[in-house]
Amino acid sequence: MIIELQSVNKVYNLGQPNEVQALFDINLVIEENSMVCLRGASGSGKSTLLAIIGCVFPATSGRAAVAGKQLARLPDRFMTIHRRRTIGFIFQQFNILPNLTVLDNIALPLLPLGISPDERRQRAAELIERLGIGHRRDFPAGQVSGGELQRVAIARALINNQPIILADEPTAHLDTTLSHDFMGIMVELKNAGKTIVIASHDPLVTEHPDMDRIIDVRDGRIDVS
Amino acid sequence: MRPAQILALVIFLLLTLDAALYCHVRLERLPRQRSAADLNDIVTAGLGLTDLCLATEARYTRHPAVSDPMAPFMDHPGAIEHFPTGSFWAVPKDRYL
Amino acid sequence: MKNRAIEKHFNLLDYALSSLWRRKLKNMGIITVFAVVIFLVASFQILTSSLTETAERMLAQTPEIVIQKMSAGRQESIPLAYLDRLDGIFGIRAAVPRVWGYYFDETSGANYTVMAADRSLMPEGKNLEMAIEGDFPAAGQGEAALGREVAANLKLAGRRTFSLFRPDLSLKSFRVSGIFAESTDLLTADLIVTGLDEGRDLFAIPENLATDLLLYVANPGEISTIAKKIAARLPDTRVLTRPQIHKTYKVVFGWRSGFASICLLTALAAFAILAWDKASGLSAEEKREIGILKILGWQTADILVLRFWESLAVSGLAFLGGCTAAYLHILFLEGSLFRPVLLGWSVIHPSLKIVPVFAAGDLLLIFTLSVLPYLAATVIPAWRGSTIPPDAAIK
Repeated sequence: MIIELQSVNKVYNLGQPNEVQALFDINLVIEENSMVCLRGASGSGKSTLLAIIGCVFPATSGRAAVAGKQLARLPDRFMTIHRRRTIGFIFQQFNILPNLTVLDNIALPLLPLGISPDERRQRAAELIERLGIGHRRDFPAGQVSGGELQRVAIARALINNQPIILADEPTAHLDTTLSHDFMGIMVELKNAGKTIVIASHDPLVTEHPDMDRIIDVRDGRIDVS
Repeated sequence: MRPAQILALVIFLLLTLDAALYCHVRLERLPRQRSAADLNDIVTAGLGLTDLCLATEARYTRHPAVSDPMAPFMDHPGAIEHFPTGSFWAVPKDRYL
Repeated sequence: MKNRAIEKHFNLLDYALSSLWRRKLKNMGIITVFAVVIFLVASFQILTSSLTETAERMLAQTPEIVIQKMSAGRQESIPLAYLDRLDGIFGIRAAVPRVWGYYFDETSGANYTVMAADRSLMPEGKNLEMAIEGDFPAAGQGEAALGREVAANLKLAGRRTFSLFRPDLSLKSFRVSGIFAESTDLLTADLIVTGLDEGRDLFAIPENLATDLLLYVANPGEISTIAKKIAARLPDTRVLTRPQIHKTYKVVFGWRSGFASICLLTALAAFAILAWDKASGLSAEEKREIGILKILGWQTADILVLRFWESLAVSGLAFLGGCTAAYLHILFLEGSLFRPVLLGWSVIHPSLKIVPVFAAGDLLLIFTLSVLPYLAATVIPAWRGSTIPPDAAIK
């Protein structure tokens, strides 16, 4: 198992008047090289769950282990290092910097790793070709279409060869064809050995035939029904 | 060329310009300046000069060192000192023994 | 491993520079304004330190004691009889009466300084020819040596004679014996040097009077003792000593450069405040960018280094550019931007052929007053910005 959560709770704004508990006592195990969907309405806590798995912030209590590391007491700095080694993110809004070229956006995670420009370009170019957006390589990311942006985001999530891909509502801004394409790529990645966790309530994703497992999240709890 | 190299090039060019200027001053201007300074010494001593000829508009700006404190207010005790350099060349004061 | 660390800094520098370049209009503007401020401060610094140095050197040669007669709070001519009353003061090596004053040339509106003294009594008097193209005016021959600006203002154009008005408006004519060398402009630009008799004649000063007395002492250590004795014997005079003149000059230069420095420092401070304001009020776009970078695995320190490189590139370029421009300004344009301030309403403009003395101390001062505040004003707010939690990007 590559992801293991035990009794994980998450409380936002702990101790303040606007304190909100987003996750209650989550127990979850995700096997390596599987494709898992976190299904739930917006506000159900699935994004928070994804963020904890993705080492964005720590759980308030409970034990979380990702790719063999206990996250609970990891200082912020090491959490970041662990994140960039193991997790590739794909966001609903893509979170692409519109002023940078497609290539530069994809290579962004490599900069603080001290990778030389040549190697960066080479690695990004390979992914660009693999994802079929080679013709957009030097375009500013602000000028490419939504479907292409999605591929840019995927390429960026893969650039450091991370074993886990996390996607938050990846198809929310895509039409049916593009959503199908996206799932196709995810299946390919799974076949290449990646572990994939997608948070979504899009039936196109949740009912995809290659989905190994669907986990329902409701009101901050995993629904075992 | 990567941006860092362009920056390095720009800085290098500026520094080269600075170095060239420095050499120009050292080799060209300074020796001339030295002989000029020697001449200045002779003129100063020979004529008993006390001040640089910078602002010649009034006697307290031309020769501040030997002007009396009233010089800017010659015309009337309450007159306002009105030359612009007067605000830069302070009126000499406190020189009575 | 070490290469990786260096490469990382290069990468961050690259990224910083290209994000500066993306907003090139704005950033070029900042660099330009910053460079102009530094240029002004540096020009002024060079100019004042060069002038101060020239003045210091000059003061080493000025007469040790100057005696002026005062009446009703104003200076007036001093009777030569006062020389006799100095007899018996031990340590006076030489006492030289001098006639000098200002001549206002109504046609050009210029003020000239007319100087007349017996050069045989002056130190270095016999060497004065070295500083003159031509001859030193011979006493009693109606000759005068002119500063270059005087010659230009009189529009001599090859003529060897010119005339000045006596107080009673009769004309006194002079023959030009020589022109002072260009390199002495800073001292002689407005001078008309002539013999004692000619000077008295021009200003209508009686035989028994002089403008002031110059005293040279045997032992410079005794200047103030001797000055005190003179002041006691000649109570209606004021006695100026070289150290006092020196002090006055310190005040004059200090005050003047202080005044301008305050103006310029205000400009610098305003710029620092602007930089602070710009950097502290992170726009939503910048916040989002930081959030994205952090979630992609950039450390807080990486973001800080990025901001540091950005600020260093901006302020470093402005510093280098500003200082270089200032140097060129002083070296080749003779500080023309500041000349109006220095020269005020003068008609005579001596050339400021100044060799910029740009000491390491000056550079350091300007660096400390410009680059460091800018770095502080931009990096400290950036530190606050860089601690934005990465999940800011997800929401």
